[in-house]
Amino acid sequence: MTPRQSNRRLVPAYLATGGRARPSRNTLDRLSLLHSAGMPVTSEVRPEERRILELLQPGALSLAEVAAHLHLPVSVVKVLVADLVDAGRLHARVPIPEAEQFDRQILERVLDGLRSLKS
Amino acid sequence: MTSIPEALLWCLSAGTAAAVVLAALLVRTHKQRADLRQRLTASEEQNSATLHSNTELSARLRATEAEIRHLAGARLPDLTMALAHPHVPVRGLLDSRFAGSETDHALTAVLEQIGQAVTSERQRVDAAAQSTLRGATTTIQALLYRLQTALQDMQHRYDDPQIAQDLLDADFLNEQALRRIQATSVVCGAWPGLTREDSYLAELVVGATSRLRGYERVQVSNQLRDPVAVVARAVEPIAITVTELLANALHHSHQELPVTVTLQQGNRGASVIIDDYGVGMHDDEIKHAMELLSGDDDLLLTQLGDPPRSGFAAAGQLVRQYGYGVHVEPSPYGGVRAVVYIPGDPLLTVLDESAQPMSVMAPLPHRAGVPDRSSSVLPTGASTPPPAAHAPSAVRPAAAPAQTAAPTPAPDPAARPDAPAAPAPAEGELPRRRRRKPVSEDEQSAPRAESIPPRSPEETASRWAALQQGTESGRAAAQSEPPRSPEGNAH
Repeated sequence: MTPRQSNRRLVPAYLATGGRARPSRNTLDRLSLLHSAGMPVTSEVRPEERRILELLQPGALSLAEVAAHLHLPVSVVKVLVADLVDAGRLHARVPIPEAEQFDRQILERVLDGLRSLKS
Repeated sequence: MTSIPEALLWCLSAGTAAAVVLAALLVRTHKQRADLRQRLTASEEQNSATLHSNTELSARLRATEAEIRHLAGARLPDLTMALAHPHVPVRGLLDSRFAGSETDHALTAVLEQIGQAVTSERQRVDAAAQSTLRGATTTIQALLYRLQTALQDMQHRYDDPQIAQDLLDADFLNEQALRRIQATSVVCGAWPGLTREDSYLAELVVGATSRLRGYERVQVSNQLRDPVAVVARAVEPIAITVTELLANALHHSHQELPVTVTLQQGNRGASVIIDDYGVGMHDDEIKHAMELLSGDDDLLLTQLGDPPRSGFAAAGQLVRQYGYGVHVEPSPYGGVRAVVYIPGDPLLTVLDESAQPMSVMAPLPHRAGVPDRSSSVLPTGASTPPPAAHAPSAVRPAAAPAQTAAPTPAPDPAARPDAPAAPAPAEGELPRRRRRKPVSEDEQSAPRAESIPPRSPEETASRWAALQQGTESGRAAAQSEPPRSPEGNAH
């Protein structure tokens, strides 16, 4: 998929954001899950934003995956995604940290309790 | 007595003889005198003639000296000035009587000799300066490319917004430095210093804008029907040319005015049209620019002015070497319009976008905007969900259907069920490539895409029924199993 990575880039990354690298919101992470809000793509959407929306149309992707598809640095994609989230075109979900995941044992005991209730 | 007459006779005869002799002498003297007088007249005449010619000669000498002084004092400075500035006239002879004379020929020969000597010396000095500069710029350019690679790697490595900001700023500065160095080295006769692979024209133009301060004012509108690309050897030269023309446009227009770039596809080539809405250029500026852009003359660094304006000169050199065309004219909006025409035959090609995706920053074809929604709504709005194989092409959102639908609306919907992967090209037309969907991503998105088309109520019902069946059977299995500890307690 990336036969041209060995070659020198023609379009630099700063062009995507007009030189900005500070996203408008600092809640985004490499692993933030992005999914499209389903708004119609209008002409005021810039090409790179349009490409992100196209990528997300089939389903959700993490921010790092989007960056890899676009061949752009994560920091730049964060800015683009933050803009899209601000415009309401995209929903971003913070990844659930490992420590906060539900305890499997408790869930199993709840399930068993429910089963025993039924029978 | 006889002695007296005898003596008298003697005296008389002697007197007569003397008289005869005297008479003869007298006659002779008379003759001589006349002769002398004649001679005197002649020599007087000669003398006056000599005097006359002498004054004439001395006057002529003075005139010649004045002519030589004129040569040294006026005509030679004129000549050296005229060699540097062709519009300066060289004065002619001081005295028009010398025209065509030996003096005139000799003086003209002097002027020619000096002219040749000055020209060749100037070329020699200029060539030395060019080679010095070329040596320096080539090295600096290579170093800047290495810096670019390093900065790019760092951009991918560090996520921190503040570091990323600094890296982007540094990258932009580096790009600007590269542009200057590259233009200078091209003016000095070097090659552009970089061979890229075949690249899309839209990508090339966007890349060219990124090298300039004020690139956010440039609005690129893409009117290309096909994914037109420039062949590898001409990518960097055309990028330099477009950059320099854009720099001129940005420089000559106000900081808040846009510069519009239109990519237009013609029958036999493609054009990049750059319009600014600025102050424009004078007629002689445009004439000078066109002279530089034609690339006909050998270029001297001394012609570039101080500070040197190398943009048009660099573009002109490349135009001559690579065989595309640049035209500059006053635009109907009052600014300047510059057109780069790239002939299709040696310099353009069409790339497969699935094999080589276009950069995400490249502007989309303009036409995709309007027919886009209608054609993307059409397949998903159909009542039956498309079979799995058709899913990617049916839900492919943006430009893929639009590109084929715009020129050939009729055959495309009919062809779609038969050709799931790529829209079928109409007969006699060039094959159209789909727009920016990497192959692997298509394959990935195929299973996910199945869930997108709206389900019929029956299908939904059957799915829920299957879920319920599953849980029922699971419970039945749990009941039939030997009871585990918590269940055993409950019984």
